[in-house]
Amino acid sequence: MSTTTAPERTKAPLIPPSTHRYAEVIHRLEAGGSMLPDTPENLKQIIGIYKAYAVPMDFYWRDLLYIAERVFLNPLPAFKYFISNEYLDRPNSYAGDQSPLRIWRGTEKAHPELLAFMEWGETRRMPKLLHHLWHDRVNMEFAEACMQAMFWHQGMGGRFNDYLESDAYKANADRAIKAYFKGNPLMLGLYKLFPDMFLEQVRQLSTYANLGLFWEVMAPVFFEMSDIYDEGGFKGVPDAMDFLVNGIFAVAGRPIYHHVFIGGECFEIIPKSEGFTWLYEAALPYVEAVFYRTSPFRGTKSYNAQAGQVPGNQADFHYGILYADVYPVGSAGIPPTLLMQDMLHFLPPYLKEIYKQHRRGEEDELIQLGITFQRSMYNVTSAVIQALRCALLYPLDDTDPKHLQANRAFFEAQMDRFLRPEARLPDIQTQDYR
Amino acid sequence: MATILETAAGAGVFNTLLAAVDAAGLREALDSPGPFTVLAPVDDAFAALPPGTVQTLVENPSQLARILKYHVIAGRHTRDALITQEAWDSLEGAPIAIRSKDPFEVKNATVVTADVECDNGVVHVINRVILPG
Repeated sequence: MSTTTAPERTKAPLIPPSTHRYAEVIHRLEAGGSMLPDTPENLKQIIGIYKAYAVPMDFYWRDLLYIAERVFLNPLPAFKYFISNEYLDRPNSYAGDQSPLRIWRGTEKAHPELLAFMEWGETRRMPKLLHHLWHDRVNMEFAEACMQAMFWHQGMGGRFNDYLESDAYKANADRAIKAYFKGNPLMLGLYKLFPDMFLEQVRQLSTYANLGLFWEVMAPVFFEMSDIYDEGGFKGVPDAMDFLVNGIFAVAGRPIYHHVFIGGECFEIIPKSEGFTWLYEAALPYVEAVFYRTSPFRGTKSYNAQAGQVPGNQADFHYGILYADVYPVGSAGIPPTLLMQDMLHFLPPYLKEIYKQHRRGEEDELIQLGITFQRSMYNVTSAVIQALRCALLYPLDDTDPKHLQANRAFFEAQMDRFLRPEARLPDIQTQDYR
Repeated sequence: MATILETAAGAGVFNTLLAAVDAAGLREALDSPGPFTVLAPVDDAFAALPPGTVQTLVENPSQLARILKYHVIAGRHTRDALITQEAWDSLEGAPIAIRSKDPFEVKNATVVTADVECDNGVVHVINRVILPG
């Protein structure tokens, strides 16, 4: 592995150096750093892309909750991406004056750049329906692909999926299904014939709510990071990572729930009183499902499962952004491509300037920003790893060698996941990976 | 002897924990005959958590109760009993690992004072808030 930055250790080590293939990265994590080297350009790239990500994410979380809470079991949800004004104005719990735990200094309503894009798109101002049919809009399909990854993989910690199988959940879902199709004998008849099919749809809608509540936090976190950077507030990549670590703790206890509104009545399919939390039931499963696993993308590359090209064990799936070959991903029809196209609309000028100076300039902006996104997600994953270390293990400045060894074993186990050849950890150590 | 909560109130270093017990609506349960084994983090342990952590939990009683229940084991278990097993099931459901006998460490916390006997259980004072996972 070639690297540009030396380990940032300053004190005499209490434990011998790691002999892991990624020892340099492990020593950096032990010194409070990120998997992403601390360079001014890396900082600029990741903050710029966080901002570009936060704008479409502001649409994703609102629409995910709109679908989970309002569209619900609509058998022909052709207008599920036509988010209501109520949800565009829905106050973000972590932005605006009304927020008891304000993370972003900005507005609680939909971001102005998002509203402008919804109005004008890439083409011109025209009715929403025409923007939709011309596919000149936010690629909500990406958000749904992430939701499906979470829903399909399951078993990634937390108790959310266990609850989806519980009798309490089934009873709650049953009440909501019957209320939703009240006066509709056809759908009620189908429900009687195929109850599990309807229940499975409600489980998927609960996953919509889960992801919506997760991203409701991340959008203001990324907006605030962008504002802090614009003020010259972050000194380096570790500062940006620490902001994320603190954010993870601050909202760790946020309830994850699923409420549905039918005829003015609220049906609590997953009540807040179940005690599900943002950290355990949303954030950690999200990182596992979306950053690491996802599923093979249909599109430019074909996989032969019988030939073992797709792992037999779901835990070994490695199609997330941390492993992505961004070049084919940057082609049509593949979920992260949809996100890249969404981010392209909201790049800050300083990021566009970087892309112009490298490779094929504006011609391959989509690929360059995809790789920037990969760098930025290695930093988010570093924050998650540091937060877990902080929650479950020991401080980095602990003086007990046994504790430091336990931290070491944890970091090494995390890095083991990047030993497979598809991992991009070695690539992001250098600036010429673009 | 006093109850677990009376003992904690008398010690003067569990103000955050006691406020959290009230916010989570667990006072009545912890005042019951039990018995319980409580791993009680001191005020400094809560203060060491990043800003906002405690605020979010206090605003959400069910979520706070879950974290607090992770600090409670059913039954009366002294240090000598606890160190005979590698892990104990908490009332939250997730196991609490006994990582070291000497010094006595539960999960990633060190037990500052063990075996504080109470009417309805035993308290072990710990220096960090422990979290499931």
